Amino acid sequence: MLINNEFNEEKIQSPLQYTWSIFKRNSLAITAMWGSLILILITLFADYIVPYAPSTQYVKHLLLPPYWVEGGNSAHILGTDDLGRDSLARLIQGIQLTLGGALAITIAVSILGSVIGATAALTKGLKASILHHLLDALLIIPTLLTALILIVMFGPSYENSLIAVSLSLLPQFIRGIYISIENELNKQYIISLRLDGATNVRLLRFGIFPNILEPIITLLNRIFTMAILEISTLGFLGFGTQFLDVELGALIASSIVLIYSSPWLVFFPGLAIFIIILVFNIFTEGLRHAVIEGEDL
Amino acid sequence: MQTLLSVSNLCKNYKRSARFLSSGFRQALGPLSFTLERGQTLCVVGESGSGKSTLVQMIAGLISPSSGEIYIKGEALSSLSQQERCKSIRMIFQDPSDSLNPKATIGRILAAPLELNTNFSTIEIDEQIHETLNLVGLLPDYLDFYPNMLSSVQQHKVALARAMILNPDIIIADEILATLDISLRFKIVNLLLDIQEKRGTSYIFVAHNMNLVRHMSDQTIVMHNGLIVENNRTEEIFNRPQAASTKHLLQSHQPDYRK
Repeated sequence: MLINNEFNEEKIQSPLQYTWSIFKRNSLAITAMWGSLILILITLFADYIVPYAPSTQYVKHLLLPPYWVEGGNSAHILGTDDLGRDSLARLIQGIQLTLGGALAITIAVSILGSVIGATAALTKGLKASILHHLLDALLIIPTLLTALILIVMFGPSYENSLIAVSLSLLPQFIRGIYISIENELNKQYIISLRLDGATNVRLLRFGIFPNILEPIITLLNRIFTMAILEISTLGFLGFGTQFLDVELGALIASSIVLIYSSPWLVFFPGLAIFIIILVFNIFTEGLRHAVIEGEDL
Repeated sequence: MQTLLSVSNLCKNYKRSARFLSSGFRQALGPLSFTLERGQTLCVVGESGSGKSTLVQMIAGLISPSSGEIYIKGEALSSLSQQERCKSIRMIFQDPSDSLNPKATIGRILAAPLELNTNFSTIEIDEQIHETLNLVGLLPDYLDFYPNMLSSVQQHKVALARAMILNPDIIIADEILATLDISLRFKIVNLLLDIQEKRGTSYIFVAHNMNLVRHMSDQTIVMHNGLIVENNRTEEIFNRPQAASTKHLLQSHQPDYRK
């Protein structure tokens, strides 16, 4: 305990606690954080909260509008589609597939990318050079095009679309991690740790990673946003989920012909994509600002 | 008594790649030879670009020399393990706000060299940290602090503690005093001289301020274009400078005398 506790501080805040206290002041970011959590919870427990099975057809209620519009039925809150399937149930399943897929991609890409990026940054010579130029070459191709090429090779299915999207986003993440670690390696505290004979793992764990939180958050946010957009695009183009499963892009594609008779069928999935991206971006942006503010105090 | 540090014919070459397909070497530094005794202070002075920093970084092990050898207590540095090397030569970097990890507590920062280079138990590490903090005049309270919570003098003291924690024979300091203002500078200088008296540590300083050099050092090396132009007792150099560049250096600091 402190001998002279002049400032009456209970204990000394670690940088993470300090960042959190800054983050807490930003009410918009806090709201977005709860929004993100709710969305993640919906994704995890979608099977328990859907009112009807997404594929059940209610032939008596075809093309119902949402219940607050005239002609709506409170049994189907968001209405039904042309085969009488409940829109809300399909929307929730769509969120589950799209958001869940994007989160899985983000986690997989970040783990794999960190390992490869750190290896590339900490090794020198031929290996690093080959990796370098290969990644540079891959970065030339737009990610969506890579994903499309891969999905054509793998054959369309939901799992394959996830694999294709993660592979297309991987080079970007590796590059980002590589650059931030490379910058960090020139800092004096890393050099002094090196002089002490620290192993690479120790260097990464205590020296580098705590100090590159900000670029990592930015990268994760970008990967996540692009994953959502790419999964929806592949779904929209018909390369994603097949038949019974619907993700948000496929949901829009299947109802695009009905846009004049029942615009709700296109509107709600589109809104869901918009809200997911908005909420997660506000959350990570708030987090990033808190980290930056916490660093230069 | 054995010479503590002896540098013989140390050279550093850089590959020249100015023109296509022409290979050649540019002699950046050396050949340099000098010795340092235990408990003595060596100052390296010279204009910028004269190779002072390269020289001390080679001794610290940051840069590997192209040729030549550094002997410490009669043993060649290249034959020592990383751990033995760490225990005998420690380096303090220019700016402690850069050289202390902002995301680690002082306790962690000080424990790292011990964990990596000794077989101490947790209790021994703790004792050693407290002893070293006492040596540099910091309270054990600071162990839970993060570097950015400390003043610049305290940060300097932590950096010094980090260097002293392995009880090294030589401490290399690359312009550590440049960022401090004059009163704080003397605080650190007195602390350094105090430690030298207690522990018999040798210092190698890279310095700019000639008055400080005169105050602190026993031996001075004047460098110019990667070569040693003068190597003598400090008093000799200040009273009877031989080389032209030494005279220039002294003259450039004349305004300080008048103040």
